[in-house]
Amino acid sequence: MKVSLPSIAAIATIAISGSATADLLDDVISSGTLRCAVVLDFPPMGSRDADNNPQGFDVDYCNDLAKALGVEAEVVETTFPERIPALVSGQVDVAVASTSDTLERAKTVGFTIPYYAFENAVVANEGVEMADWEGMKGKTVGATAGTYEAIWLEGKVKEWGEGEFRPYQNQADVFLALSQGQLDATVSTVEVAEANVESGKFPGIKIVDKAPMVPDYVALITLREEQGLINYMNLFINQQVRTGRYAELYKKWVGDGEPADLTIPGVYR
Amino acid sequence: MFNYRFQWKQAWNRLPEMLDGALITMQVAILSMILGIVLAILLTLFRRSGNRVLSGVATTWVEIARNTPALFQIYMAHFGLAGIGIHLSPYSSLLLGITFNNAGYLAENFRGALKAIPDTQPRAGRSLGMSDLQAFRFIVLPQMIRISFPTITNQMVWAVLMTSLGVTVGMNMDLYGVTQDLNALTFRTFELFAIAAVIFYVIVKIIQAGAWLISRRLFRY
Repeated sequence: MKVSLPSIAAIATIAISGSATADLLDDVISSGTLRCAVVLDFPPMGSRDADNNPQGFDVDYCNDLAKALGVEAEVVETTFPERIPALVSGQVDVAVASTSDTLERAKTVGFTIPYYAFENAVVANEGVEMADWEGMKGKTVGATAGTYEAIWLEGKVKEWGEGEFRPYQNQADVFLALSQGQLDATVSTVEVAEANVESGKFPGIKIVDKAPMVPDYVALITLREEQGLINYMNLFINQQVRTGRYAELYKKWVGDGEPADLTIPGVYR
Repeated sequence: MFNYRFQWKQAWNRLPEMLDGALITMQVAILSMILGIVLAILLTLFRRSGNRVLSGVATTWVEIARNTPALFQIYMAHFGLAGIGIHLSPYSSLLLGITFNNAGYLAENFRGALKAIPDTQPRAGRSLGMSDLQAFRFIVLPQMIRISFPTITNQMVWAVLMTSLGVTVGMNMDLYGVTQDLNALTFRTFELFAIAAVIFYVIVKIIQAGAWLISRRLFRY
């Protein structure tokens, strides 16, 4: 068969222009590396082990996603406020960082379906009289800046019109301030609260009550326009639950009991 | 790769909150400068006093203020003092940290300025019947402030920029703290911080213009 020069040129053009329209999903697969932003001072979701290696639910989740894509996982540590700059400047491909899926944020980044859901607890200094969550009214309270619970708590303090809200830059500073008595109470995820009370690193704190919030559904995020990757990750999250891997990771990092239901009754998704 | 479309509207809507934050930033900076100058004059007197203890205190203060990060000083004012049972609010911690830093730097600037004033001047004052303190107050001090005025302006600018360290101790009322809060809410990081940077720039320019006007009025020969 004789192949004409114009048709070779045409194929070459398609091949070149084809690569120019490749999306992030293609880029990740062809680069062979998936770079995940993970927050590593947020146990049990992300922390460092005794050898300083990243570990936790989110780290394993990133590894699973990389495995599904057939690439190597690379964990990039970020703080909560640094997730978006890392994503936008192309230092990471996705953030597996317990990101709450608010409508305000969804104007900026692309969310998948939820991959985890947190319940929140009220933790107080033992020296403070507090029977339930409403005892926080009029007190000095704080939480980790940039988290769902911080946004909720700051809203509550404004609603009450008394007391004070202080956001600290990381989880450790919040619990240090609570332990020292700088804060009367904080709201954090049940997982984080239990881990910190049990660790004994922050003496003089106790869990008081559950915080009456809608569960904090968290999702994977990537750039808003990367629909190809978002579709892939939606299916991946579905498969994690379907195959029992979600329950397995819950047991490994959080403990016995039922992992949170990721569906919302009465609506499609 | 910078894969991003700027969306200014979402950030721009928050400008009033950021301007309120800018006022708090100015307030902290101005208070810390007033307190800092008073303390720096005291430290200068301590060092001239010839008393071992007093000059020791002044030297230690200046050494710590100038040779450790401002971030450390503010962090210590909050978490460090809380460790020994003194609880300060984020606002007070920030103000204390910056004031401590200002006083240290300004005291050193004043020391430099004093070197430019001949020792014979206060001695001449003494021979006219002035006390030591009077000679300092009427002869040395006005010249010291005049000579070090540009460095005082610099420190004021520095104080404004240092307020951004308040977020580490839970401050969320100042310009930087407000911006961080809004960032968590909207994720419009680049737009919000770009606006904050412009506001900081304008504040600094206002200070420089103000300093120029003051120096023209006060220091005419």
